[in-house]
Amino acid sequence: MPENSEAPERAAEAGVYSATVTLSGDLHARPAGALSMAAARFSAAVLLLVEGREANAKSVLAVMQLGAASGQTVTVRATGPDAPEAVAAITQALAAATKVGD
Amino acid sequence: MAATVGIVLVSHSAALAEGTAELAGQVGGGAVLIAPAGGTSDGRLGTSADKVASAVRSASSGGGGVVVLPDLGSSVLTVRALLAEGDLSGFGPVELADAPFVEGAVAAAVVAAAGGSIKDVLDAAQEARHAGKL
Repeated sequence: MPENSEAPERAAEAGVYSATVTLSGDLHARPAGALSMAAARFSAAVLLLVEGREANAKSVLAVMQLGAASGQTVTVRATGPDAPEAVAAITQALAAATKVGD
Repeated sequence: MAATVGIVLVSHSAALAEGTAELAGQVGGGAVLIAPAGGTSDGRLGTSADKVASAVRSASSGGGGVVVLPDLGSSVLTVRALLAEGDLSGFGPVELADAPFVEGAVAAAVVAAAGGSIKDVLDAAQEARHAGKL
């Protein structure tokens, strides 16, 4: 299991789920690609939030533009029918893709 | 296995087409068919209709159609001429993307690798125009 992640939490708003991951490496081009491919499998809308900036997780260019770096905390927020599964899969992909050594 | 969309990168420079294909392929996790068509047949800067047609043939093997990204100028004209003359028929749908070359290739590769349709891949490439870097 990825470190620092929480089980998907239902937000106050119905159908919105979120979890956080503290990155152990930078969210470079290849990790961004892995993340966007993981997000594309879900019909839920998935946002990544980092220090007040947000990006559509399904857009690799938007994910790269976040410039999320090692040590920063990323919130994964999904809305839609498969939102809980999307949050679980994407937090895991995020932790795996930014593992140091990648 | 569902049909997958292939990508063709048409550049004046063989090195640019090949390097961009390598980069987009890696960001796409190596799971997408990307065929470079760069330079003339005798290795100079320019575009070659034969190279483009053969890259489209090779990229079409996934069965989901092909999105073609040109770099500039005559790359666009070469692809348009091939499309107009029907020289790219028989490879499934072939779409010419109006997109920035590197960003469009990377965005298209990720969506194609994730199993997107030809419309999804074309949209991803063309939306790359609006993505910032900073």
